[in-house]
Amino acid sequence: MSSLLEVAGVSVTFDGFKAINDLSFEIGAAELRAIIGPNGAGKTTFMDIVTGKTRPDQGRVDYGEPPRSLLKMSESAIARAGIGRKFQRPTVFEQQSVRDNLMMALKNDRRPFGVMAWRAGKDDVDRVRELAEEIGLEEHLDRSAGELAHGQKQWLEIGMLLAQDPKLLLVDEPAAGMTLGEREHTTDLLKRAAETRAVVVVEHDMEFVRRLECKVTVLHEGSVLAEGSLDHVTANQDVIDVYLGR
Amino acid sequence: MIERTFLLRHPSVMVFIALLALFTIGATVLSEGFGIGLISTSFVKTLGKTLCLCLIAIAMDLVWGYCGILSLGHFAFFGLGGYMIGMWLMYERTKSIVVEQLDAAALPPTPDEVREAIGSQIFGVVGGSDIPVIWMFADSLIIQLALVVLVPGLLALVFGWLAFRSRVTGVYLSILTQAMTLALSLYLFQNDSGLRGNNGLSGLQNIPGAETISQDVVSIWFLWASAFALGAGYLFAAWMVSGKFGNVVRGIRDDEARVRFLGYNVEAYKLVVFTVTAVIAGIAGALYYPQAGIINPAEIAPIASIYLAVWVAIGGRGRLYGAVIGAALVSLVSTWFTSGQAPDIPLGFYTIEWVDWWLVLLGFGFVLVTLFAPQGLGGLVDALVRNRQAVAAPPTAPVKPAEKASEAT
Repeated sequence: MSSLLEVAGVSVTFDGFKAINDLSFEIGAAELRAIIGPNGAGKTTFMDIVTGKTRPDQGRVDYGEPPRSLLKMSESAIARAGIGRKFQRPTVFEQQSVRDNLMMALKNDRRPFGVMAWRAGKDDVDRVRELAEEIGLEEHLDRSAGELAHGQKQWLEIGMLLAQDPKLLLVDEPAAGMTLGEREHTTDLLKRAAETRAVVVVEHDMEFVRRLECKVTVLHEGSVLAEGSLDHVTANQDVIDVYLGR
Repeated sequence: MIERTFLLRHPSVMVFIALLALFTIGATVLSEGFGIGLISTSFVKTLGKTLCLCLIAIAMDLVWGYCGILSLGHFAFFGLGGYMIGMWLMYERTKSIVVEQLDAAALPPTPDEVREAIGSQIFGVVGGSDIPVIWMFADSLIIQLALVVLVPGLLALVFGWLAFRSRVTGVYLSILTQAMTLALSLYLFQNDSGLRGNNGLSGLQNIPGAETISQDVVSIWFLWASAFALGAGYLFAAWMVSGKFGNVVRGIRDDEARVRFLGYNVEAYKLVVFTVTAVIAGIAGALYYPQAGIINPAEIAPIASIYLAVWVAIGGRGRLYGAVIGAALVSLVSTWFTSGQAPDIPLGFYTIEWVDWWLVLLGFGFVLVTLFAPQGLGGLVDALVRNRQAVAAPPTAPVKPAEKASEAT
């Protein structure tokens, strides 16, 4: 299987602190992957690098088929190329309705004048309804996003990601602050999304990762410590020392 | 047809246009030029100028209230629009006077003589008689009208491109826009700027080719033109923010990074909004200064742009009618207080003269609005409409999803 994203030998330093140290990572076109690691392991910085928010000091980030480097692209160009990102804290546009949030994320012309003249067609309305059903918010389309419960905001953000129809989804701690039932729904959403695209989930919560039933990458001090099934990595003595042992 | 369905979906726009038309007809009927003469020509001009200020307030609301860019430079664009049309007005007016004078001479004047006479007429006051290069198109109304749009538009485009590309945001961007405004104003204050230094351009109320027509009539023409521009500007602004563009722009205001990660080029959107609103401001200025009669660099001083922000804040950011209410109310009340019409209050030991104390009152009003109506006066209108709707349609009848969905098509 050829890889969709290949990160090779990437390092980044903030004020002398090596946040990412010679990190290499690969993911296939339809794969679910969990990244775990203690605080400061570089999980969020890794996402920042892939989405163009942070530029690495050295290394290579290639994406797509044929592979092209993401290092010269702007954040918005990377997003348009098919990489969607969900932030740790749910970030939806609270003052706008759930429908408007989803409409904005729908894969359409993103250029200012195109958007100015754009009005939603029947396809767009249907697609938004479909997405809303998938994330369980079909009853709430006309509510403003700020009124939603915490878990619903998380789903809305996942829905916005799906609306972009990305090839690669980066999800930062999706289960944070969720109830048990909400977690199950979230797991389903992510698993289903990973059937047709690559999904990278950064998560602290071991139980949640176990439910994802996927390959796990353990980060520590900015590089990969171990990779494999959850049982495999949790049996690794290094992993136990730096992470699970604490 | 697009416009019709747009209007049907946004009844507030229709209400606004209707009120504006009513106001314009009312002012015309009461005027000296076309009506029964109940309101003076100078007051008609004040009303016309107020409409122009409402138009620039809409521009400010778009850029600040919707897009979150607190620009302290939009009055510079307003002033530039005024200067551009002022050049034509002053040049052509001076030319007709000069030609008239020289015709009395025995020999018919050569074009060079006419040009020199115009030069010394206009620039004698700053000790020159040469016509500066920037006046090369001053005899062409078409070109100067194009410059009304192009000069503010290009300045905003270049300035905005540099500022947004470097990701300057928030208070730093405000300071940068203010610096631009101050620099422009200081430059224009110089006698060799080519725009008559601190004298500015004057006599702009005289329209070349219409010298014989009384100001009573001309003032009404400008009132109509200003009302039309305000109506068109309101319609355009409402259309611009009604669809996804408006959602993206509001998204940029609330969470710029998120919009970026959705794949929107935030800088391009900001640049479009900044430039379009600068053009609107330029048009508003081009209509304002012929009614004011004079423009000078003091008009462009940063304080003017700060007042603009205060109007929009009092009126209510993020709602177009709020900006209009704020600009109309504050500028009319300000005119009343500062033109000596408000009676001074003698306290025996001290007399409150409103010319000085008006600013204190304005500041106090600003504090009150901030404390008790953070959404501005427009927010009070919103609350009023909501209450009446709640009375008219009890909450037991929820909005059907199907109805709302058809709205989006």
